[in-house]
Amino acid sequence: MSPVQKIVRWARRKSPWILHFNTGACNACDIEIIATLTPRFDLERFGVQLKGTPRHADILVCSGPVTLQIRDRLLRIYDQMPEPKLVVAVGSCATSGGVFRGLYNVEGGIDRVIPVNAYIPGCPASPKAIIDGVAKLLAAWGGAP
Amino acid sequence: MRRVIIPIGPQHPALKEPESFSVALRGEKIEAIQMRIGYNHRGIEKGCEGRSYVQDVYLVERVCGICSHSHATAFVQAVEEIAGLEVPKRALYIRTIIAELERIHSHLLWLGVAGHEIGFDTLLMYAWRDREQVMDLFALITGNRVNYGMNAIGGVRRDITAEQVPQIKKAIDSLEEETKRYIELAKKEITLVKRLSGVGLLSKVDALALGTVGPTARASGVDRDVRRDDPYAAYGEIPVRVVTDDHCDVYGRTLVRLFELMESYRLVRAAVENLPEGPIAVKAPRKIPPGEAVSRYEAPRGEDVHYVRSKGDERPDRVKIRAPTLANTQSISKMLEDRYLADLPIVVAAIDPCFSCTDRAVVTRRADRQGGERLRWEEVQRHGIDWYKARGIDFSKVVLPW
Amino acid sequence: MSESEEVRSAIEEQFEGLRGTVRIQRERRLWLSVGYPEFRPVFDFLADRLGFVQLSTITGTDEGSDLGYLYHLARESGTVLTLMTQAAKGEAIASVGDRFPGAVIYERELVDLFGARIAGLPEGPRYPLPDDWPVDRHPLLKDWKPSGEAGGAVEEAGNA
Repeated sequence: MSPVQKIVRWARRKSPWILHFNTGACNACDIEIIATLTPRFDLERFGVQLKGTPRHADILVCSGPVTLQIRDRLLRIYDQMPEPKLVVAVGSCATSGGVFRGLYNVEGGIDRVIPVNAYIPGCPASPKAIIDGVAKLLAAWGGAP
Repeated sequence: MRRVIIPIGPQHPALKEPESFSVALRGEKIEAIQMRIGYNHRGIEKGCEGRSYVQDVYLVERVCGICSHSHATAFVQAVEEIAGLEVPKRALYIRTIIAELERIHSHLLWLGVAGHEIGFDTLLMYAWRDREQVMDLFALITGNRVNYGMNAIGGVRRDITAEQVPQIKKAIDSLEEETKRYIELAKKEITLVKRLSGVGLLSKVDALALGTVGPTARASGVDRDVRRDDPYAAYGEIPVRVVTDDHCDVYGRTLVRLFELMESYRLVRAAVENLPEGPIAVKAPRKIPPGEAVSRYEAPRGEDVHYVRSKGDERPDRVKIRAPTLANTQSISKMLEDRYLADLPIVVAAIDPCFSCTDRAVVTRRADRQGGERLRWEEVQRHGIDWYKARGIDFSKVVLPW
Repeated sequence: MSESEEVRSAIEEQFEGLRGTVRIQRERRLWLSVGYPEFRPVFDFLADRLGFVQLSTITGTDEGSDLGYLYHLARESGTVLTLMTQAAKGEAIASVGDRFPGAVIYERELVDLFGARIAGLPEGPRYPLPDDWPVDRHPLLKDWKPSGEAGGAVEEAGNA
């Protein structure tokens, strides 16, 4: 791997830009995701920044079980993210549908629609669990070529 | 975990992004606006029919992660009425304490979100920092920060212990002091007053006609609150002072929530200091006798209505849930009539909507000429912040007085 | 007389045919069932003359060959009267949006989820189902099952 590639990877790992997307969740996980950016947890000290557009995002952080209405929007957002990209499923619903598994308007988890790199369970996933999950993902990402 | 199957485009031609807001603009003003909702529709009511009453308590709790206790309580109240259960007083008081703590966390959450929508992120950070004190209480009392699982059919699942009481009071005292500062800020900070005043006007007449509920309605002078009008839990014994305001705008909605916080601190103290002795639940049968009930609850966003019907077995025959946000979405187009696109984010945020905060798409079209665009929520937000900055309202210049 | 009893008396005085049919389940909860031809006069009487100024929501039910419509009306004093009526599936009923503009979204829900026909609904997007959900499939009808229609994980519906 060239030095430039190494630097780019290191920069991505050290300061990932995140896009947060709710696929029809109850909002509990979303609140906990946003809470990680507030003073008590302060994810930004790790260089993590929340971005508004898929075109600048490295990591797509998803909550929710994927309702039928939102499915296409999720696909489009994933599509718009440049490579390399990672997807994190936050919460039980994003992981498997959670309590909503089997309901008629729900796909049943993010990986029913797009590939997922990390699953952070919980109902909701706590900010600590989210930070832990993101840190582990970054370590794994930064490590392998 | 299922294997992933998906082949993804180039841009898949069938992919569509339904817009949440369809806005017709004339010049800079909104001529008409249509709101499309349903992104969070999961099929919960049908799901309830296929699960037992106990399972449904957990399902219904997750209608909304911000007001989960509201839904769970409204549901069990209906079932308890059908089954003729007499819930012990201690349980009613505990439900009330959790209910008011939920209102507190929700209103502080709202304060932060409102700040964020207008470009006042400092407010977001302060409000959500304070809110963490409530999350700590939830974790202490219930074992979870969110989705507390406190309700059982017939009572509550966990008790509030004597050791927890001083911690609850300490947190309430601290939050009360902080909230007084927010009230001062709302009253005295000119930038905030200017930004929120006259925005999102909804007359009392319109609020009533459109079935508006909660702080949104009360800020238009509608004197309604289910806790006082149709008491449930312990509100019959701990009367609520209903907060109303006549501004009829976003500023009024802000004041109502701030003063409701103060009232909630008082209610938590009263409930905690007068917690009756006794059991925390009565046993509920697995099969609920035939019958039906309407249960109402004043959630942080307004009236939450649950209807439950039993045909005499282990699963409900029908569960209907009308969350407060659905009642309030109807007022959005009225509030944005003849206003600017720049007002859209805060006006929507001011009804404190319980749907996703991050994925609303806005489509504009020119009513007076050709053109229009598809915008992301963040872009409309940005537009709003910049538009008002250009008119002298700039929160980056605001220094908090404390 | 309690408030509920007063309300019952007033209804029975106005509509002799309804004597004995107004049910008081508990304080602040009344229930009344009427045939559809009688529905609107009773509804208007409650809303305009008895102070039931709030329509909290409308619940739809599947009654076999009929659809049930439950209008949950409330007074400022907190009393709720649920006015129930029925109509055959496929038979149109009139919107109450002329009296309660806020009711429109509740009526749209009945159309989407039960296949109700509601005359007088203003034009607007469907609610709450997605655009590509078939218009003749109504998930809250008792004989509608999720398998194969839409969505993904349906194999564990109703499981412990």
